[in-house]
Amino acid sequence: MKHYLDLIAISAGRHKKQTRMTRLCIVLAVFLVTVIFGMADMEMRAQMIQAVKSDGNWHAGFVVDAETGALIGERPEVERIARYGVVNYGLQDGYRIGGVETCVCGLDADLLEMFPAVTVLEGRFPQQDDEAMLNEAVKSRLGLQVGDLVSLTVPRGESRQYRITGITKDMILTAEHDAFGMLLTAEGYDALHTGETDAEQEMVYFVQFKKFCNIQKAIGDISTQFGLAPEQVRQNAKVLMLMFQSGDSYLMKFYFVAAVLAVLVAVAGIFMIAASMNSNIARRTEFFGMMRCLGATKRQVICFVKREALGWCRLAVPAGLLAGVVTVWAACGMLRLLSPGLFDSMPVLGVSVLSLVAGTLIGLVTVLLAAGAPAKKAAGVSPLTAVSGNAGTVQAAKRATGTRVFKVDTALGVHHAAGSRKNFFLVTGSFAFSIILFLAFGTAVDFMHHAIMPLRPQAPDFYAFAADYANTIPAELAEQLQEHPGVKRAFGRGYAQVTAQLDGQQTLFTILSYDAQQFRWAGWGLLKGNLADAEEGKGVLLAWREEGQVPVGSKLTLSVGGEDREVSVVGILGDVPFSHGTAANTGSSEVLLICSEALFRDLTGETGYAVLDMQMEQAIEETEVQQIRKKIEQACGTGISFADKRLSNQEVKGASYSLSVFLYGFLVIIAMLAFFNIINCIAMSVSARMREYGVMRAIGMSVRQLVRMIVGETLAYMVSGAVFGCIIGLPINRILFEALVTSRWGAAWEVPVWELAVIVAVMGCALCLAVAGPARQIRQMTVVDTIGEAS
Amino acid sequence: MEIVRVENLSKTYGKGEAQVAALKNVSFSMERGQFGAVVGESGSGKSTLLNCVGGLDRADAGKVFIGDRDLFAMGEEERTIFRRQNIGFIFQSFHLIPELNVEQNIIFPLLLDYRKPEQTRVEEILEVLGLTNRRKHLPGQLSGGQQQRVAIGRALITRPALVLADEPTGNLDSRNSEDVMDLLCKASRHYQQTVLMITHNRNLTSSADRVFQVTDGTLCELGGDRR
Repeated sequence: MKHYLDLIAISAGRHKKQTRMTRLCIVLAVFLVTVIFGMADMEMRAQMIQAVKSDGNWHAGFVVDAETGALIGERPEVERIARYGVVNYGLQDGYRIGGVETCVCGLDADLLEMFPAVTVLEGRFPQQDDEAMLNEAVKSRLGLQVGDLVSLTVPRGESRQYRITGITKDMILTAEHDAFGMLLTAEGYDALHTGETDAEQEMVYFVQFKKFCNIQKAIGDISTQFGLAPEQVRQNAKVLMLMFQSGDSYLMKFYFVAAVLAVLVAVAGIFMIAASMNSNIARRTEFFGMMRCLGATKRQVICFVKREALGWCRLAVPAGLLAGVVTVWAACGMLRLLSPGLFDSMPVLGVSVLSLVAGTLIGLVTVLLAAGAPAKKAAGVSPLTAVSGNAGTVQAAKRATGTRVFKVDTALGVHHAAGSRKNFFLVTGSFAFSIILFLAFGTAVDFMHHAIMPLRPQAPDFYAFAADYANTIPAELAEQLQEHPGVKRAFGRGYAQVTAQLDGQQTLFTILSYDAQQFRWAGWGLLKGNLADAEEGKGVLLAWREEGQVPVGSKLTLSVGGEDREVSVVGILGDVPFSHGTAANTGSSEVLLICSEALFRDLTGETGYAVLDMQMEQAIEETEVQQIRKKIEQACGTGISFADKRLSNQEVKGASYSLSVFLYGFLVIIAMLAFFNIINCIAMSVSARMREYGVMRAIGMSVRQLVRMIVGETLAYMVSGAVFGCIIGLPINRILFEALVTSRWGAAWEVPVWELAVIVAVMGCALCLAVAGPARQIRQMTVVDTIGEAS
Repeated sequence: MEIVRVENLSKTYGKGEAQVAALKNVSFSMERGQFGAVVGESGSGKSTLLNCVGGLDRADAGKVFIGDRDLFAMGEEERTIFRRQNIGFIFQSFHLIPELNVEQNIIFPLLLDYRKPEQTRVEEILEVLGLTNRRKHLPGQLSGGQQQRVAIGRALITRPALVLADEPTGNLDSRNSEDVMDLLCKASRHYQQTVLMITHNRNLTSSADRVFQVTDGTLCELGGDRR
């Protein structure tokens, strides 16, 4: 031993058990910060992957002429620029290959770098004006290969010939509308565009700016320099937001929310460590008094406490970081498991530098900050405290315990909690912060529910629909396809339009027929009435209308094919699945009726379906899909269209999975921390008072009474923590909710009863466990030894 | 040579009806190498006097000079450093650091002063205290008498001019008490250190040069048994 600070290491070696709880607290706080920042970072990466896949990784687009485009490309902040133009995006202008509407894009090869979703499966990007790349569907449906000539029928001319140089993967637009996609060089497109339209050539110049460039400023400068109107400038909002480069006012609110949450997490960490250190120092008053007696200056004691705290960090911070990183790995692994294929580029064992820096900083800085106050307290211990023999293991009481409201044991427990104002504030604060964090992060879940509609269980992956929604698809085809490899479910619906008197007006109705499975799905949206009656064909379900409701049990007289048929309304549906193909969601006055297949047949005399939906296995082979398609075409003839929703479904799934994993992950972590923090705080408080408990046992207090005392103490912390947590957390919840949800979707804020119930339940469980441990310790306590040890 | 001089020291605890005058205009001085004993009833103000003389506590009025330095004229930091260099404390309940062994406990005040312990001095102290073969023992492995000897060694290691002992034999049996008294006498005679000791045991005052009695906060000198 060469220095007085060497005592720290010697002491730490001998008192591992006593400092374990403080070290655990540091681990928990660092873990909290690492996980939350790590998960946020990973979620940003996941969202970025999603955003780049769906929208591309360009930053801004400028609709300008060639000369301006070239000038923009020369600007120093521009990393990459590429032209893009499109015709027949709406797939109804008459550009066709083999009779199928084709979206024709002209672009520079560089643009492919900005749209990674455009995957070249074979061949290369066209180089000549008469070369083209086509999507996979052209290959599979028309049997064309790289090197073949393809003929594009155009609205004005008869046709144009292109040589196929490559095949790309299908994209959402073409898959959903069963259309083809054609990529030409910018020059090839120019020739086509000028030949076919009178409109001036309109190209978008997509730009990727250099790293660390202030993108909003660059866009502003470009717009000013070239006098661009706002409609000439596009921004890749999602990507820019994820790069913290968006100037959008809503996104600024988003950043504000993120900043508030980050600060809350940091403060929660500080509270946890401060509370535990304060308690650790408080129980060693006598030791610090003795140090002062022996001649240690206040500065030396502060240095001692801080050095000791940093010593705890040496193991606790890496442990917290490691636990945090492993948890983030688990979340990423889960994400990849839930949505294979979509997040493959996200590393399972990725390390978020941001989270490591935040965790380490919060760990070290918090420990130093948190150690500051207890260190001053320790330094402030009068040397007299040690020599006078008044220094107990706990702080001297400043006022007597009130025993009017509670029995003496509970009253003492409450007094233990509230006796030291500072300790009470810190412990209550750390409990309150669990609630505040939970309520604050709860708003992010509300945001998720509004922002991302999860894929509904009934969503089809692939569907066929008859032209004009005529019921020409044979019903037995659904049963046949159900047996097809790779098909999970196949189900169809009939469509019919009828009129009836409603509210004294002749109103147009669309009747949909549901099978048993579709009725089950519709059950979620049943507002009134009986689903079983509709399923058995006893009546129809009516969609909810803003204008007013038809009472359940009333009759509707439908005019079907010139014949009047009376049907009963057996229920009202708030949300009607499978309303696509109807005008119900376009604000038209058309009313939806749902009935069983038998009643539909009875009413309309139609036996077929207008729409045939399929849900498919994720791993279904493309050839199987083509076979299904052929089977349907063979059964129904030519008047059938297809829509492939697999890509867009996967995108929706990916977005909702990644947000769910991370947001619910945050909530679980916060709840878990609240849980351990309560247990740890109570365990610390009890171990600090063991000698006092020993004395109380010696003078006749029963174990049961001691346990009641601990329950009293724990409840005092928890009730006040819950009250403060709600007082501060609810307004924060409201502010964040209004910034994230109300400002965008108009939904009014409500008291988050569920979040409160969950966190209170978690705290309740923690209370039981927090008391159980010390109760066992007290039962096993040897009174004589406990008093003897401390004296 | 005068080592300690106390002038009109007064100290009051509490307020109003609960006010207690622990010291009332106490004055005395001690020469280098003198051994003083303070006796008095419980609550008479003995410990308050010792704490004020040692600079652990502040008096309401009066002055304490150690050598020519006024203890209460110093700032907190300065007083602490002065105290650790010039005053040694011995307590009734030893107050050893449980995780440090005998030798480490003894040299601890030197380490606080950022000084390197002289090995010969440490050996000498251990020898005088009869703890050479126990130097690596922890306090928990020692008897009460041995622990008090360690505390004395700790008080003497910095060669303080003044050693203050608050009932150093209060927790010891008669044989260990004798040993402790011998060591304190040795400090006074052999090392010419001034010792002021509080005791309840009148028999122990026989070794003292001067005996003070504190009664209700006032000090009077009873003379010296040994003298």
